Amino acid sequence: MSYAIEAVNLTHYYSKGTIQQVAAIENINLQINKGELVGIIGHTGSGKSTLISHFNGLLKPDSGKILVDGVDIHKDKETLRQSRFKVGLCFQYPEYQLFEETVYKDIAFGPKNMKLSESEIKERVFRAAAFVGVKPEHMEKSPFDLSGGEKRRVAIAGVMSMEPEVLIFDEPAAGLDPRGRKALINLIKEYRKQTGSTVIIVSHSMEDIAEMADKVIVMNKSSVAMQGTVDEVYSRGDELRSMGLNVPEITEIFAKLRAKGIDVPANVYTVEQGAEILRNLMGKGAAK
Amino acid sequence: MIREITIGQYYPGKSVLHRLDPRMKLVLTFALIVVIFLCKSFLSLGLIALATVGAAALSKVPPKMILKSLKPIVIILIFTAILNIFYTQGGKTYFEWWEISITEKGVNTAIFTMIRIVCLVVISSLLTYTTTPTMLTDAIERLLSPLKVFKIKVHTLAMMMTLALRFIPTLIEEIDRIMNAQKARGADLETGGIIQRAKALVPIFIPLMVSSFRRAYELAFAMTCRCYTGGEGRTRMKQMKLAGRDFAALFVCVALTAGVIVLNIFFEAVI
Repeated sequence: MSYAIEAVNLTHYYSKGTIQQVAAIENINLQINKGELVGIIGHTGSGKSTLISHFNGLLKPDSGKILVDGVDIHKDKETLRQSRFKVGLCFQYPEYQLFEETVYKDIAFGPKNMKLSESEIKERVFRAAAFVGVKPEHMEKSPFDLSGGEKRRVAIAGVMSMEPEVLIFDEPAAGLDPRGRKALINLIKEYRKQTGSTVIIVSHSMEDIAEMADKVIVMNKSSVAMQGTVDEVYSRGDELRSMGLNVPEITEIFAKLRAKGIDVPANVYTVEQGAEILRNLMGKGAAK
Repeated sequence: MIREITIGQYYPGKSVLHRLDPRMKLVLTFALIVVIFLCKSFLSLGLIALATVGAAALSKVPPKMILKSLKPIVIILIFTAILNIFYTQGGKTYFEWWEISITEKGVNTAIFTMIRIVCLVVISSLLTYTTTPTMLTDAIERLLSPLKVFKIKVHTLAMMMTLALRFIPTLIEEIDRIMNAQKARGADLETGGIIQRAKALVPIFIPLMVSSFRRAYELAFAMTCRCYTGGEGRTRMKQMKLAGRDFAALFVCVALTAGVIVLNIFFEAVI
């Protein structure tokens, strides 16, 4: 079986051919399996955004290849067009892309560009809207009349309605309050469970990634520094710190507890996990 | 492609030309442009051309960049040269065929106008190469301040210009971002006829408008928060002060003008 996305020696320069030429990404090799939820983390300017802009062909590599489902997306124009629909890309602050008169029309923009039938478009729009929790009575409203959180849901639905095989989110929780963030993470998890599609999350929040991802890719200075499971990557705290990243706070706390001789596991990455362990620990204490 | 647009072509440096008072630079640039048009003979134009080359060398802007500023006018140059060659008649005839004849006067005029246009463009580019857009608007504000007498809000106009210049790169970035977001949803911006392409711009244009208004409101709010009430009683962090070099530049320009006038009188005019 071919990979959902495969990068082969992918390199991209900015300001190519001038003195200011810099490699945004250099010699990237990675494979993303179908159905996987992959987190990409990295410091600002590490090349994360450049990397994902190659996944749906927005940027053309200066050398190397991107294979989606085993096919080079720059093979011809039609393949490139189809790759936009196969790989949905939801940018940071997606609410700034809204433009239509009504919420319905805005969510329908993607499917319409796919040249689907009217009935198919309608079905998809309502499915995506229901999924992200846009109320049916909002469908005929102007997207500019909605609240910030609602706008973002509409914008996400606008990408989901294309029903891509791979869905990429760039900093999906940026600018949201803790409750909004939590709701969005659950939404992404639920989406993946229901559709079984491949999901890629770009973030610099180690906590968010730990909560969702099966696999983590760490970008540093234009190349892939580490990849592996959450446990494999997060256990290398010192290396992460040297790249300007941090292990989650809760992991730090548990490391300190271990240093004090309390028997707790080292692989705690989310507050929920931590709470669960502490609850068990205190339960044991009370039983004694 | 959109990344390559540069507005304001400031070339950072510390040369004498960079350090000149922007007001003086602006006035002298205008003066020199007038002087270029006063030139009548090859000698006086040669003097100006020499001064232009000298100024370019003083500015320490790489010659390659100065040549780049001439690129957009190549077509105009060729066009005026051709027109001059064929339409100005007089003196010795070099070439004659059917209705077309090339004469001494035609060739001379063509060369003369070409040098004149090149000098014009190089001098005005030197101004923008060595002065930041903000410095320029500041200078314009100061130079136009006498207009306050006629109740013209010079400060407000200058502030608007500064802000507009400041936001051009920001808006370019924004367009880039919106274009990518819509392309990711399958928007087709490259194919189709003119109407289809114009229609394809709607998904770019509307979010751009919305965010520009949002930015404008935010900026106005931030300015109000910092007690901005207009130009009345406002002082400046960077005071403009005329220094010795400014008067030296003025002297050089006056000398050039005098030289041009003298050479005009004593040598045969081309135009």
